[in-house]
Amino acid sequence: MRPEALKGHLDGMLLAVLEPGPRHGYAIMEALRAGSDGQFDLPTGTIYPALRRLERAGLVAGTWSEAGGRRRRVYELTPAGRHTLDAERGSWRQFSAAVTAMLEPVPRPVTS
Amino acid sequence: MTGAPGRQLVEDYLAEVAARLPGPARERASILAELRGGLLDTVDAYRDAGVSAADTADTAHAAAAAAAAAAIEEFGDPGLIAAAFGPGLALGQARRVALTLLVTGPLVGLLWATAATASHIGSRHAPPWQWVGALPGSLMVFPLAAAIAIAVWTALFTIAATGRATRWLPDRPRLAPGTAAVAGFGAAGADVALFVLLASQLTVAPGALAAAPTAAAAVASATRLFLAGRAACRCLTTRAALAGH
Repeated sequence: MRPEALKGHLDGMLLAVLEPGPRHGYAIMEALRAGSDGQFDLPTGTIYPALRRLERAGLVAGTWSEAGGRRRRVYELTPAGRHTLDAERGSWRQFSAAVTAMLEPVPRPVTS
Repeated sequence: MTGAPGRQLVEDYLAEVAARLPGPARERASILAELRGGLLDTVDAYRDAGVSAADTADTAHAAAAAAAAAAIEEFGDPGLIAAAFGPGLALGQARRVALTLLVTGPLVGLLWATAATASHIGSRHAPPWQWVGALPGSLMVFPLAAAIAIAVWTALFTIAATGRATRWLPDRPRLAPGTAAVAGFGAAGADVALFVLLASQLTVAPGALAAAPTAAAAVASATRLFLAGRAACRCLTTRAALAGH
């Protein structure tokens, strides 16, 4: 899937990936790939600016951790982030149901 | 471990990103630290997936370099990554400038008020724009008041537009650096107006001024004039770097 196809949905997917618990950038990218069965193959570097944007908006909280001499920034959902994720889910269900209804082939009446 | 050749490729890549990142050094360092951690994790994943054992030192070096090259390709173009961070860095820079101006403004004002109270010019508690012998009050009070008003309101707007409200506001990353620059120039303009009044008073009746408080206020204003002007110019530079947004 092309990265531009994900525009407008990346924030919601990042929030969804963080729903089970805190993760750092690489783990988030891996979860995106695994969760989409490899369909979402973005340039890895692009998720870091998106995470910082979500943090600035108060939807995720970032903290530094260090293991094996390597520093990683670990993100977790805030209450506002959970609320936004619920809203994103609701609006996506509506949108996808409408698009599916439009795109699915409709049986045509048989004419004699 | 990533190995020296791989590590060098990672650092070269990060240097390319760093060269394109606008904004304050501290914020850029934080971003680069996060990217470094993520990139090294990616290198490790490639190495673990592609190389199970290395027979010689040369093979190990080549494998480390290949893993790093693959990770860098997966990370994306340094220009694109830096550009994606640009709006966030600009907002952070603008917010810091606005907050600093709002905190330091009353302190500078307090020093000038102290200087005015301690000096014996005309009436005892005359503010600087009413100093006897200075330029006519009506000539200087308006530019001074206008500069202070511009600085305060644009700084308040900048803070409001760069906080949690960003999630509801239209995506206009060039706005906040612009308003922060206006706030900085407004504060610098207030300092210039105060110096004009001080110079006028020193010319006409220097003895009437209380030396120590006036000197303290002048030093504070000179410092803020320099720092606010520099911060405003940097905000404009950051704003210009966001031309594509």
